[in-house]
Amino acid sequence: MALDGVRILDFTRLGFGAQATLICGCLGAEVVRVESTTRPDPIRVMPPYVPEPGEQGEGFGAATLANAASAVNANRGGIFYKYNTGGKRSITVDARHPKGLALLKDLVAVSDVVTESFAAGTLERWGLGYEAMRAVREDVVYVSMCGFGHSGPDAAHVTMGPTAQALTGLTFLVGLPDRPPAGWSFSYLDHVGGYLGAVAILAGLHHRRRTGEGQHIDVSQLEPATALSGALLLDAALNGRPARRPGFPTGNRRQHPPSAPGGAYRASGDDRWVAISCRTEAQWQALVGTMGSPPWAADPRFATVADRAANADDLDPLIEAWTSARDRYEVMDALQAVGVPAGAVQDAADRLERDPQLAARGHFTTMANAEVPPLPLEGVPVHMSATPPHTGGRIRRAPPLLGEDTEAVLGELLGLGAGEVAALAAEGVLS
Amino acid sequence: MSAAPGPAPAPLDGVRVVELGDESAEYCGRMLAGLGADVVRVEPPEGSPSRQAGPFLGDEPGPDRSLAFWADNVGKRSVVADDDAEVRALCAAADVVVHTLRPAEAAARGLAYEDLAAAAPGLVVCALTPFGQSGPWADYVADDLVLMALGGSMAACGYAPGPDGYDTPPLACLEDQAWRTAATYAAIAVLGALLWRDGTEGTGQFIDVSAHECSASMTEWHLMTYLCSGAVHKRGPHPTLTGSDGRLVAALTPDFLGPHVFARMLEMLEADGVAGPLSDPAFADPAHRAANYREVWRALKRLAERHDAEALYRLGQGAGLPWGVIRSPDEVLGDPHLAARGHFVELEHEQHGRAAPYPGAPFLALASPWVCRRRPPLLGEHTHEVRAEWLGA
Repeated sequence: MALDGVRILDFTRLGFGAQATLICGCLGAEVVRVESTTRPDPIRVMPPYVPEPGEQGEGFGAATLANAASAVNANRGGIFYKYNTGGKRSITVDARHPKGLALLKDLVAVSDVVTESFAAGTLERWGLGYEAMRAVREDVVYVSMCGFGHSGPDAAHVTMGPTAQALTGLTFLVGLPDRPPAGWSFSYLDHVGGYLGAVAILAGLHHRRRTGEGQHIDVSQLEPATALSGALLLDAALNGRPARRPGFPTGNRRQHPPSAPGGAYRASGDDRWVAISCRTEAQWQALVGTMGSPPWAADPRFATVADRAANADDLDPLIEAWTSARDRYEVMDALQAVGVPAGAVQDAADRLERDPQLAARGHFTTMANAEVPPLPLEGVPVHMSATPPHTGGRIRRAPPLLGEDTEAVLGELLGLGAGEVAALAAEGVLS
Repeated sequence: MSAAPGPAPAPLDGVRVVELGDESAEYCGRMLAGLGADVVRVEPPEGSPSRQAGPFLGDEPGPDRSLAFWADNVGKRSVVADDDAEVRALCAAADVVVHTLRPAEAAARGLAYEDLAAAAPGLVVCALTPFGQSGPWADYVADDLVLMALGGSMAACGYAPGPDGYDTPPLACLEDQAWRTAATYAAIAVLGALLWRDGTEGTGQFIDVSAHECSASMTEWHLMTYLCSGAVHKRGPHPTLTGSDGRLVAALTPDFLGPHVFARMLEMLEADGVAGPLSDPAFADPAHRAANYREVWRALKRLAERHDAEALYRLGQGAGLPWGVIRSPDEVLGDPHLAARGHFVELEHEQHGRAAPYPGAPFLALASPWVCRRRPPLLGEHTHEVRAEWLGA
């Protein structure tokens, strides 16, 4: 695998940091998650909860909500299973116990990379800041992933995905003209921040290979997002056209180059939609032909793409009159057959149960651990011919139970015997 | 720390990248250039499609005036090549090729992986296409809107339903988020493949990136919600507060993180004299609070009326709440925190007699800093230079 021989000691929690080590794990790095039984990762204990194997009905769509007892079970939090594939193993160590800190330093000494997503200064307070790490592992690549980063006037601020989305302009860019932004209903920037966390880890490994030198790389959740808004920054700075202006953002209508018709159109069924986007004359003609060449399509208001964009308010209802009587996938397939970009608006159930492309590409990998039923899980969605990534990482395993690997990891990496591990556990070091 | 003389090296110094095809992979090359690679945008005589797309400098079209091209091609060089034999020679002289060609086009032009690897076995070739190289939709076409629809982001974004159900469509974020996610994954895969190549005495490989798959994996907990409960996430905005200036603040109140969250929020509200009934000790009980959350929002709205959005954002953060003022993309330029971290860089466009601001380092790596070495290239600006350096021509 691409990251054969790379070991990551991983203190990340929640989504942002865990996304980064998930990627590295899927690419073959050995990832050891350091966790706490007394302060579990919030996504281990918050809903949605994975049902007990026995609660499962005919397929997951029929599964019932887990019972309340699941709420305190650190192995049932559903979001954990999104962010902790990649063959991560889990150990529990109390960093606040002197012997726990000593164990962690021993683990740093045998690790290539250390990752964490605590508030700035947390590891220093434990006695495990970058300088302490370097003292035991000179060339360690230390990647911190913290909302506002470790420096700057607002470094103490906290983020979740929607915070970072608001501050970086991404929330602003989802909305209909002249209405408040609708924004994202999920943490897009937990993913993006994590992608850049993975880039930082890989960049740090490249630098170390070339120079033998480690470093601290400071990843925030803000900087990874600023280039996502394309030309809008330049348009404002150079053309004096700020994004906060009447008629902007433009909903689903694309301007550069214009797409018309372009948008989500109602299909048959309850709240079902299909996206269609025509930028070229050939695509428009193919769409018209598929709709049976209705007379209105020859209206001069719709003669060129510029005309169609200028008269989109007139055009869109006519398109929708055609789509709304049809199934979204039928519309998609009929238009794709003639080269028109079109796609059903799919939700999670659709991706899992109706999307033949994801199925054919092996997008989901079904895995279980000792407490949860087989789950279709996601990893790194790229295909590499010589070093194929795997959603179960190098050990081909589902996300770990809390502390599942404590004894194995301390044995393998530090040479501790079962008796020594038991003694540490009895002292409360492994909690 | 040892002080090295001269500028610090970048992680991909000396790595040659050819970028070929349409605009959908340009964000990948931008990232590799930031890591120090010598990224050459190989263009047809009319230029990359993004050179034809606006907005344009001064609203005057022209291949060297497209701000869309500028945004995603900063740090690269440009070579015009309309002869595929020359394109193949450039690829053979590179370490990495990132392209957007469908299998049939790549084969017809002698640019399939097999052709390229025959000339340069160590080459890392990455094809970024809408649906990947295989599968029933492999020949389907898509733009970013279609990818956001199929991937699931769109179904989960939009306005809340009215009394008779949803009266507005699902919405996709502007500015090509599915393509950018796919391009980022392409960069990650290239970085991994280069590490492996260097560790295996030069073994190259082919990377197949499907933008659809990348887009499908970025909706956080939605798949798990469906797996766990059978429920599908419906669209609707996150909570916001309106400051006294009419501007909005994203105002999450993550009670699930522990009792300290409400305790500190209450302190903030009491300090402003707007806590009202929340000061009743009954509100310390999460169950009571959950049943009466409307009172929490009433108090927060009273707070919001007293402060402009920027101040409200900072008040919330002062109480440990993950609040953020909703900025437009260009308003981010004025963020004092990012400015202090040196995030935005000005690059001189000497042919226009002015500088332009660009987002800089996506992370701070002191030993191997992100680089912004070149403004975006003019069409064909480096054709002769790169031919001489890479091909000895």
